[in-house]
Amino acid sequence: MADYDRRRSRGGGRGGDDGGGGGGGGGSHFNNRKRRYRDDDYEDRRPQRRRYEEPLAVTVRKQVLSIAESPVRRAEDDVATIAKSLAENYFDHDLTSGFVDLVVHLTVEQPLKIPFIAAIVLLGNSQKPELTVDVLGKIGEALQRRLDIGEWREVKLYLRFLGCLQGIFEGDGIFTILEELFSRAADLQMKSSEDSLGLELVKVILMTIPYIMSSSASGFETQASSLLEKTDIIASTAHPLETLVDPFPNPEVGGPTSSESALALLQKHMQEEAKNSWELSCLPRPWKGTRSAEEEDALTAAQKHSFPQVTVPQVVQTGPRAIYPDVYFSVYGEQEIETVPTASDTAALLIRDALSDTINVLDFNRMVAAKFLTDVDCYFAPDTFVKRATPFDKLREVTGDKPTWKPEDVIVDAAFSQLLQLPAPEHKLVYFHSVLTETCKLAPAAVAPSLGRAIRYLYRNVDRMDLELAQRFLDWFAHHLSNFGFTWKWTEWVDDVNLPDVHPKKAFIIDALDKEIRLSFSKRIKGTLPEPYQALISEAKDKDEPDFKYNDESTPFSAEGQQLAQMIRRKASNEEFTPVFEKIEQDAAASGLTDPALASTDAFVTSICWIGSKSLSHALACIERCKERLMAISSASSACRKQIITSVMDYWKDQTGVGVVILDKLLNYQILTPATVLEWALIDHVARGTLLAKTWCYELVSLTTRKVAGRVRSIVGAIRQPGLADDRKDELQQALAHEMETMKNLFSIIEDAVGSIRDGNQDEMMESSDALRAEEEDLLKAWGGKWARVFQRKYAVEDSWVREELSKPIPEPEVKTVTKDTKMEEVQVAGSLDGQNGTAVDADDQIE
Amino acid sequence: MQSTITVERLDRPSTYYTAKKKRKYGRDQPDERDGAGNKAEEDDPLKDATTLYVGNLSFYTTEEQIHELFSKCGEIKRLVMGLDRFQKTPCGFCFVEYYTHQDALDCMKYIGGTKLDERVIRTDLDVGFQEGRQYGRGKSGGQVRDEYRDEFDPGRGGYGRAIDAERRKEEEEYGAGK
Repeated sequence: MADYDRRRSRGGGRGGDDGGGGGGGGGSHFNNRKRRYRDDDYEDRRPQRRRYEEPLAVTVRKQVLSIAESPVRRAEDDVATIAKSLAENYFDHDLTSGFVDLVVHLTVEQPLKIPFIAAIVLLGNSQKPELTVDVLGKIGEALQRRLDIGEWREVKLYLRFLGCLQGIFEGDGIFTILEELFSRAADLQMKSSEDSLGLELVKVILMTIPYIMSSSASGFETQASSLLEKTDIIASTAHPLETLVDPFPNPEVGGPTSSESALALLQKHMQEEAKNSWELSCLPRPWKGTRSAEEEDALTAAQKHSFPQVTVPQVVQTGPRAIYPDVYFSVYGEQEIETVPTASDTAALLIRDALSDTINVLDFNRMVAAKFLTDVDCYFAPDTFVKRATPFDKLREVTGDKPTWKPEDVIVDAAFSQLLQLPAPEHKLVYFHSVLTETCKLAPAAVAPSLGRAIRYLYRNVDRMDLELAQRFLDWFAHHLSNFGFTWKWTEWVDDVNLPDVHPKKAFIIDALDKEIRLSFSKRIKGTLPEPYQALISEAKDKDEPDFKYNDESTPFSAEGQQLAQMIRRKASNEEFTPVFEKIEQDAAASGLTDPALASTDAFVTSICWIGSKSLSHALACIERCKERLMAISSASSACRKQIITSVMDYWKDQTGVGVVILDKLLNYQILTPATVLEWALIDHVARGTLLAKTWCYELVSLTTRKVAGRVRSIVGAIRQPGLADDRKDELQQALAHEMETMKNLFSIIEDAVGSIRDGNQDEMMESSDALRAEEEDLLKAWGGKWARVFQRKYAVEDSWVREELSKPIPEPEVKTVTKDTKMEEVQVAGSLDGQNGTAVDADDQIE
Repeated sequence: MQSTITVERLDRPSTYYTAKKKRKYGRDQPDERDGAGNKAEEDDPLKDATTLYVGNLSFYTTEEQIHELFSKCGEIKRLVMGLDRFQKTPCGFCFVEYYTHQDALDCMKYIGGTKLDERVIRTDLDVGFQEGRQYGRGKSGGQVRDEYRDEFDPGRGGYGRAIDAERRKEEEEYGAGK
């Protein structure tokens, strides 16, 4: 009772100043709790809260949102129920407008549900055609908007929705706009053989046709076939860029590709389907359901509508995403039992397309994306897949005509196809890592074995894989293991431990362990490894702070090195260092060193590394303090700049990841130049090419080129700012031309350096060839070839990005462009680091 | 009013700032491409946020480990470790600052809630680091949540400190093992 009174008085105050949504929420909460205290014969003095009945709009919204999600309910029944509620309550504005909005969003946000949503509209049409008019109006507007800005995936999805509704359209329905799209594609292809937008349009057309042909509509075979005849030339001709995006490139320069173009496959599939009266057995037909003859008649007699008023712009845009030809990629190609549809099966591309769209569209909620993936069997025809979590070995027992496709394999395959998309996937690589992680978390027992087989396939083929993909695989592998207790059956690769370090498989193992350690620590990783691997992790990796070589009396300039370190620690002023530098240089000259400055640079930079070895913040603070002198060293000569890199990487030789981060920061400070880094890694220290097998070298070179490319991109972004004055524009154009030239030169440094390794032109290599086994020499050449491919592609991508971007119309003002500002001048920003970090670092320093 | 988005986004800030500011940023705000509902964004202190608060780290997780994971979402401009106010040792949180807002959002989406050093970490958009915020605000110098935690967490110094102190006092008074 007391309880009640207290609450009541609180409730009374609620209407006062507090107000707002919070008050309301609190109220309902307290009311629910109150139930527990309710006594039947107690007279409740409070006004009774109205019994809460969920508005129909909310109920239906929930039903629509969860359509087809449940494996135990029949989606056809839900479709019919929802259609009925909608038709009967069309007067309910909240319900109707809510549904129409939901359809517009669901289509592009949850593409797997399109056939089911369309079926609701289809059934609703026979009962309340007005609702169809509303839906078509809104969908038409949305489609037009996406068409105008060139968002082709969304265009494809809206067309898919409309394709599923082909049965309610008058005349040719959707085919008119498909024909229009084709004519644009044909124009584009006519203009240039390198055009890829035309390919995208053809893909949109070809991906729409199966949904039309599996819809309730009939009698459109002629239209479909005539369209297919036209698309054939475009879809089946190999695109010049296909070799660029081949995941398993031909080692022969200019040789044919090993992988099939997804578009050419799709064209073939559709032609096959046309011959087989459009069986399309994997697609769902939620409009079918069980109906009385009467209802069936109503459906056929339902009012027809004209196709929404949509026009394809005369000049079609590439849109925000660069378009490259798509290659069909599967990690389950080499198995004795077919666990995913083979590339020659229509289902392969139809399912893949829907899954990759789902993955890419839902990047803002990886959990939901993963849920869709694990529920894949709900969204396709029944019996498309075997039951979930069927073990691989049990697939042998599947008899008759039934497919042996494992849903887990199909989704893992789709996720990998996106992670390993060339030249670049739609999102950051780590997104795809996270989707795979979530999928594993949702269904560990089912997904883990599928992942295992995927890993084995990728590892088996790592030597013929594109180098960039091998790096992505490596990065994913280590990151994935870090989320699952670092457990992997290392025993199965034990034999490969004896391979030479430059063998791609051995290199993979070494670098995978290194990456695991970077995310963890070496003792932990050692604990997960069988004996033969232990030797791959040196004792030195255990040390958090590597030894300072000048602490060893036998190191030349040991005393001066220690002195420099002390001075850096006590934050000596720049001038104080000068005498020590002079001393080292005099002694070095006296002992006959040709470039004495290198000795002082080494002592200085090594000391910075040692003093800063406590943490990255310490290292950065040290660099910041010594910036002035470092800049002076850097501007002295290219040899000095290279010595800085040598000293850093030598100090961090057992934890190369840290070294690379420091070099990255030195690049930001412009203490190092991109060219220095590239020459150092690919010419001076490449060691006949052995460095090319190291991931840290790849990372160093990639981050350097990325910085340079980022600078070009930010200038392009600036040029494309609306309302730019002419002289400013000219200025930027000049800057761009200059940066483009710099970028070109840098890429040609790489090209020349790795090209000469590929072609075996290294002098050193000739001399030492007797010591080197022929096998190893071939491996090094192969590394050179792989590097050359990757960086040629990176250059081509950047170059074409600039051209495409500049050819686009300048956007209307208000548009905000988010271009990453990797300007090298940003050092000022990075330079404020010390001040902010200062306290923590100082405090720590004093403890020493 | 119904939400027009069908799937919740993971790159929304937690209620930390919204509660602080006593204002509501609808989690269900319509997408910007719909052109509506932007009025709340005008004065949203997090609309350009490039910094993340990262929580539930192990005390033993190093800057290098954090850098390795978080640089997967973009170049890191600054990393500030959370320290015990008195001991100046890591106390299980940090601030990661990126160069762009997009990188920070991506980090919320792709890294928040995944594991680092075998712990599920938490990320939250943050208005930006300020001197002083790197220190724990708990009574004994660490984070507040580590004062009264009654579960043993080996990655975060065992039992909560207040609980632990009480435990020790009891042991002293009544002898160990009670």
